[in-house]
Amino acid sequence: MKTHKLFENTSHTWLMFGRDDEKPEQIIDTNQYIVITKNNAFLMDPGGIELFSAMLSAVIKQVPADKITHIFASHQDPDIISSLGLWDQALPSATLHSPWLWESFIRHFGMHNITYDAIPDEGATLKLDGVNLEYIPAHYLHSSGNFNIYDAKAKILMSGDIGAALETVDAPLFVDSFDEHIDKMKMFHQRWMPSNKAKNDWVQRVRKLDIDMMCPQHGRIFKGDDVMRFLDWFEELEVGLVSNSN
Amino acid sequence: MSDRTTNYFVSVAEIAAKLHQATQVAQQLSLTASNARAVALRAGEKAAGFRPLTDFIDRLAEITISSSKKINQLASTLSRTSVSKVRADDAIRHFNSVYIKTKESPFISSLDAQFELCENIQRELNIKYRRQVDKLSDELAMLSAELRNAIILATLSRVEASQAGVQYQDALINVANNVEGAAGEIKGFIQYSQQMVSTL
Repeated sequence: MKTHKLFENTSHTWLMFGRDDEKPEQIIDTNQYIVITKNNAFLMDPGGIELFSAMLSAVIKQVPADKITHIFASHQDPDIISSLGLWDQALPSATLHSPWLWESFIRHFGMHNITYDAIPDEGATLKLDGVNLEYIPAHYLHSSGNFNIYDAKAKILMSGDIGAALETVDAPLFVDSFDEHIDKMKMFHQRWMPSNKAKNDWVQRVRKLDIDMMCPQHGRIFKGDDVMRFLDWFEELEVGLVSNSN
Repeated sequence: MSDRTTNYFVSVAEIAAKLHQATQVAQQLSLTASNARAVALRAGEKAAGFRPLTDFIDRLAEITISSSKKINQLASTLSRTSVSKVRADDAIRHFNSVYIKTKESPFISSLDAQFELCENIQRELNIKYRRQVDKLSDELAMLSAELRNAIILATLSRVEASQAGVQYQDALINVANNVEGAAGEIKGFIQYSQQMVSTL
């Protein structure tokens, strides 16, 4: 699993983990992110059981285990958090932040030690050593209880499945040509996102944020003007379709 | 057929399911006992020799039900323990893989305390698992021995039934057949379970 530094200042660092060429072929490649502050680390969408060893190995190269105090699961999917039962044994004192809607479902992955912090529908802000991490509502994109993470200082939006593309593990880290990238993400958004209304609400909400990088859970990161290009494209896109012909 | 060394928790679940069936058959035995008592009462003096046997059938049903329930509970507990053991084994396997992949990390020792804790949990679960397997094995052997009496009881019942008047003979032979049938069925479940337990 590869590690990339996305942002660093005096208060905190953003890292991305992904492009795991050792993962089993049949499982979808995922991007994981971590924010490291002075005394804490906030691990986002840590992934499925199949990735756990690779993920913990990658994280432990960057921070000691007892510093990983917070885990975030944007929603309940297996590629997001099915590794929970193992994190529960590795980081028993950690807190899992996840939508309130999914608490009783996510606990099925096995959670005896970790504390569940249920995020309300309207979102909230987590303050870690002076760094504000905002939970931005992204319900129905694609999950019915779903959040993004926004860091105003780093100007990074961790957008979960929004902006995701299905690509190979050797794909570049950043979108280099937005127009060419559309093909890789169009079907994903049309098929997995169920609601045009929810989508447009989200676009309006996110347009108010100052974003340098939009980081999805699959595929490439959008940088600079590509963030606005994505928002424009997504706003126009009709979602909730089974195939392009519908 | 699953690999019993790695999928032992599946074997334990199968044992629990078989023993649940045994409990249900044992409850049928209890019905047979009530039925036997009613027939013997109706037959009066004609079934004088049969009447004391109904107490034994009653006792056999009682022992079989309570023993099957106990064994069933033991198997359920063992099933839960074995799933916890699988999870603990899995965590240790993942930790070991992290240690191999990350030996050069300056923070690798930060996992040591938690790894040690997981190893302790795994060790305790192994002891608990072994103890529960042994207990289940003992209880199965005890019930199996108890069921041997059922064959004797069925034979005696048949002999006494032949002494009763024609009017009650069929009903009493039916009781004997039921005792023998239920005991045989339970014995089959027990033997299957004993065979499975021996692979754990």
